[in-house]
Amino acid sequence: MAQNVINIPRINDTPSDFEILFKIWSQINGYEEDVRFDFSRCYFLRPNAVAFLGGLTRLIQYRWGTVEFDWATLRDRILTNLCQSGFAKAFGYPSSGWDGNSIPYRHDDTLDMNGIMDYLTDNWIGKGWVRISNRLRDAIAGNMWEIYNNAFEHSGTEIGVFSCGQYFPWYNALLLSVVDFGQGIPSKVRDFFRQNVSEEQADKLKGSTCLQWAFQAGSTTKVGYGEPGGAGLDLLKQFVKLNKGKLEVYSNDGYCIIDKNGERYSNRTISFEGTVFHITLWCDEKQYHLKGEVAPTF
Amino acid sequence: MNFKIKELIGPRCIIKEDGQKIYEMIHGPLLQGEVVSLDFSDVNQFASPFFNFAFGQLLKNITKEELERLLHFVNLNDTGKNVFERVIENAVKYYADKDYRKIVDDILEQQAKESD
Repeated sequence: MAQNVINIPRINDTPSDFEILFKIWSQINGYEEDVRFDFSRCYFLRPNAVAFLGGLTRLIQYRWGTVEFDWATLRDRILTNLCQSGFAKAFGYPSSGWDGNSIPYRHDDTLDMNGIMDYLTDNWIGKGWVRISNRLRDAIAGNMWEIYNNAFEHSGTEIGVFSCGQYFPWYNALLLSVVDFGQGIPSKVRDFFRQNVSEEQADKLKGSTCLQWAFQAGSTTKVGYGEPGGAGLDLLKQFVKLNKGKLEVYSNDGYCIIDKNGERYSNRTISFEGTVFHITLWCDEKQYHLKGEVAPTF
Repeated sequence: MNFKIKELIGPRCIIKEDGQKIYEMIHGPLLQGEVVSLDFSDVNQFASPFFNFAFGQLLKNITKEELERLLHFVNLNDTGKNVFERVIENAVKYYADKDYRKIVDDILEQQAKESD
């Protein structure tokens, strides 16, 4: 089969940038694809694009395809970032990661508690650039864990979970993107209602409606005889609201944004098989107040 | 009966496997009506899977009121308390009788309103 050359443009993290990523996914969402990523037209890559491309590469390889990164087409600044984050090394470029404002690219095959919690606590929040109390740091890490847990517990991902983050010093924000190529939340919710109510009713549910239901307190796709579940996404949502952060979720045809203005759910024209959690937290202690939290002194 | 959580599972109450371990230690004594005290000293990180398995599933055969009477926490910080409260609230709903048809009808009704 001829090699499919995919031109990676500049990718930021607006909904239209995610649309670019999902279009790339749909171009090579087959089996035995041979793909080359060309970065000649790429001037910027946000961590969401890095996590997504890393996952997509593993997905292609998992489906007996091959992926070649045309490293020579990368601009120096982007290559430096990819080296810093460990992404380049993960995909065969001879380099080793180093400390900068990149947060390491990460691929988890399994739900490795200590690995993920250490990453969140020490590499994402705890590098010293976020001046917050330890208790708040731990609360953030616990809430981020809910994203990883949700992906492993519900998505049925066969290739694991991909994440990458970055600290942006010029506006003092931390970003974390967590991507899986599993079933997707709306698809899972529809399956649940298909089994427990009817196919006809389940098929009427839009992606946005499914996401909205999944984020409600008490919603779970487990039935009531085992261990309860379903509190994780609600906890995450409450935390983001409390701390005036921003959480965006892209899953199948659904999209939601939760920020200081509330929560909005909508439907997208491009559907993607999987889920992206994209979270932004401001590194300002004044933004964060837990019940009983005393602002730290430095 | 007293247990120190850190000695049993370490400083993170995160995963369901650890939650299950605690559940298996406390479920029997609680069913016998014994008071169980759990000390969370030096435990700093919390997430819902641990709480769902350790405490949420207790509500299968112990009432919330009975649980409040028998299960005591020591040195659980506000983050942990918040996760615990949410999980228990959630578990009560989870074990209550659910009419999934009504749930989906309500969701679809809301969806129709929002599309108008």
